[in-house]
Amino acid sequence: MSGGDENFLTLKEKGGFEVDATMKRGVEGEEFEDVPDPEVSIVHLRQHVGRENEPIVEPGDEVSEGEKIGDSERAETAPVHSPVSGVVERIGEAYHAGLGERSEAVFVRRTDGGGEGETLPSFEVDELEETQPERLVEAVKEAGIVGLGGAGFPAHVKLSSEGISHLIINAKESDPNVACDVQLMHERPREIVDGIRAMARMLEVDDVTFTVRSPESRFSELKSSLDEEGITMTRIKPSYSVGQEKLLIEEVLGEECPCGDFPPDIGVVVHNVSTVYAVCRALFEGEPLISRGLTFISDGGEAKNLWVKVGTPLRDILRHLGVEPGKFRRVVFGSLFMGETASGPETPTIKTTNGIYGFGAEWEDPYADPQRCIRCGYCNEICPVDIYPILILEAQKEGDASRLRKLHAEDCIDCGLCSYVCPVRIKFTPFLRRAASEVREKMR
Amino acid sequence: MSKGSSESYEGGFPPHIHSGITKDEMMVKTFLVMLIPAVVAVFAMGIQALYHIATAVLTSLSFHYLIFFLETARGTPTYRSPGSSLVAGLIVGLAMPIAGPIYATFVVAALSMVVFRWGQEKVFGEKRVNPAAAAKVLVLVGISLLFFLPEHLELGMIFHPHHFDWVNLLTAEGFQSSIAFYETETLSAAESLVFWKDHGWIGGGSGIAVLIAGLVAIPWVKIKWRIPTAVLLTVGALSVSMAVVTGGSVVDRIAFHVFTGSVIFMAFFMATEPQTSPLTEIGQYLFGVAVGLLTFLLQLVGVLGGSVIALVVLNLFTDRLDTLVWKKPFGHRGD
Repeated sequence: MSGGDENFLTLKEKGGFEVDATMKRGVEGEEFEDVPDPEVSIVHLRQHVGRENEPIVEPGDEVSEGEKIGDSERAETAPVHSPVSGVVERIGEAYHAGLGERSEAVFVRRTDGGGEGETLPSFEVDELEETQPERLVEAVKEAGIVGLGGAGFPAHVKLSSEGISHLIINAKESDPNVACDVQLMHERPREIVDGIRAMARMLEVDDVTFTVRSPESRFSELKSSLDEEGITMTRIKPSYSVGQEKLLIEEVLGEECPCGDFPPDIGVVVHNVSTVYAVCRALFEGEPLISRGLTFISDGGEAKNLWVKVGTPLRDILRHLGVEPGKFRRVVFGSLFMGETASGPETPTIKTTNGIYGFGAEWEDPYADPQRCIRCGYCNEICPVDIYPILILEAQKEGDASRLRKLHAEDCIDCGLCSYVCPVRIKFTPFLRRAASEVREKMR
Repeated sequence: MSKGSSESYEGGFPPHIHSGITKDEMMVKTFLVMLIPAVVAVFAMGIQALYHIATAVLTSLSFHYLIFFLETARGTPTYRSPGSSLVAGLIVGLAMPIAGPIYATFVVAALSMVVFRWGQEKVFGEKRVNPAAAAKVLVLVGISLLFFLPEHLELGMIFHPHHFDWVNLLTAEGFQSSIAFYETETLSAAESLVFWKDHGWIGGGSGIAVLIAGLVAIPWVKIKWRIPTAVLLTVGALSVSMAVVTGGSVVDRIAFHVFTGSVIFMAFFMATEPQTSPLTEIGQYLFGVAVGLLTFLLQLVGVLGGSVIALVVLNLFTDRLDTLVWKKPFGHRGD
């Protein structure tokens, strides 16, 4: 990669700060490698923002690949499916790398020769215009698709929004350790365009913007396909924070989504490019969301884009990579800014696992020895939503609920940038989360 | 927290990476930036400027290590690295008058380190006033009191060398005759104030060098740029107003009130000291405007070290300023 290309790996943030994303330089352009199906898949029943599913299988049941194994009648949920053909070994608790705690999961032991697997009813791309949007939305729901950018919001809920005037596809891939979205754009341009067409049909919108971080010329095939469909590919400033849904809307449309509202309330829906691809797979190939691309990077030099079944334990991924599990001190699932840690090698991937990062045994936690705040103000200079992290932290420590409310602690988007630039290494996240949750609780 | 094993990994809240910015890095950058006016001042004012600067820096470092070793012997030291002491020392050096005795610089640096830096931390648990400014004010007041001792009048006038008849600043004629003090064989008073002075505050040896250093510090050190902006705009606006009201040269007024060493140096490198200045944006603007206003008023009545006095006074309101007005967060701007 030439030096000029590095521009989009230095992410520009507010206050003149930068986030270094060059760690993914080694993996950009690396084709996806398929990780073999694990012996035992651990499928969490809750893999979306919202209430937990109920298991609809029992220990001893035989299941096919793609068969639904957990569901809920509640509206804002997404079912989960067996990623392999096999036998339900047990239903029990396992560590959940999205929640950072143990939660209920279905353990499926793979059996060889388990048949073709189960698929969903599919549609023809050419018949999209004649297909009722409701049928498409229902199919997305049945496929268990959630926002794959990390948030995990059930996709069908967004796609059934009414009065939408603009669809934004987030292909900015803002996290410094995630490169799978861009790789998907290189490997599956046609499917992405089909997925966007399907989403536009469901939302009944004509105005679609496809946002990227790096020069459009890097995605010539995808750009041509988008151009044919009249979809604009727009390069916006390389920035980690602007990957956040509401901030992306402001960047693209210049509109501020009010606090308490959701993007559909102002007529906008944002979807991640991996979600778009999952929608395409579900609608046109009948495949529920049982696998996804993710980027594995370690500070030991390993860097791969992998295609992994949902529910694959970390140990199986490391085995595929030829890496010893004991090599790491900390393993992060998802973004290095927002992701939770794995408890051990048995921690399984979930639908929102877009990256895994391994910190080696010699790594030292940069926040291990915080010093007293020097009031440099870096934390509020960089805050993308203009709150005051240090004042919130102080109010939280003092238990001053009224001040927390006035400081709008509930607006924190948990991006982690305040900690990232703190010269005395204060980790704001636990305080800000607690403060936000206290204020939200009081507002109810 | 234990290191990872093959069966368990270390937990921890996100984020898991850090930019690498450290307090020491901030201090080193600040020190390097301040070397710009320091070096220029040595050329403009001569070797005596170097003696003052070296005295201040070495005194600060000596007291830093003295405190460090004494505290380490008993427990945990208040300051682990000498970075901020280095900066504090250079600030003291640059904030002293070239005509002052070296021992005054030593005393200010020592007071700054022991009483106003370490002492404040011990008594209040934080710094409430800028240590260098507070130490300088204390010494300034002390030396000024020497006015009242006839045999020390000359020494007492060190801090008031050119405006003993301070009322002059309130008239055009008086002002012009007052700043004639800055004229040289080749430079007008305004040019001298802006570019090259051989007397006055060391940090103001070259106003333009301080300005350049300040402009470098804004993006590089990420100093609280709103404060010097507000200070300088306030003083500048008041200078223009004064020139309009009293008559006389606007350029000379701006050159004098903005570029006297203590003002511009204070605005960029003392008023932005993190712990003693507001961290909210609006707080910084208010702080800067108030410091500028008070500085100007003190200048008018002949207190030419007035900028540091203004700073120390406003330092006391920092906490209050941080709670006065908060900007509206994203998502509330249409409220």
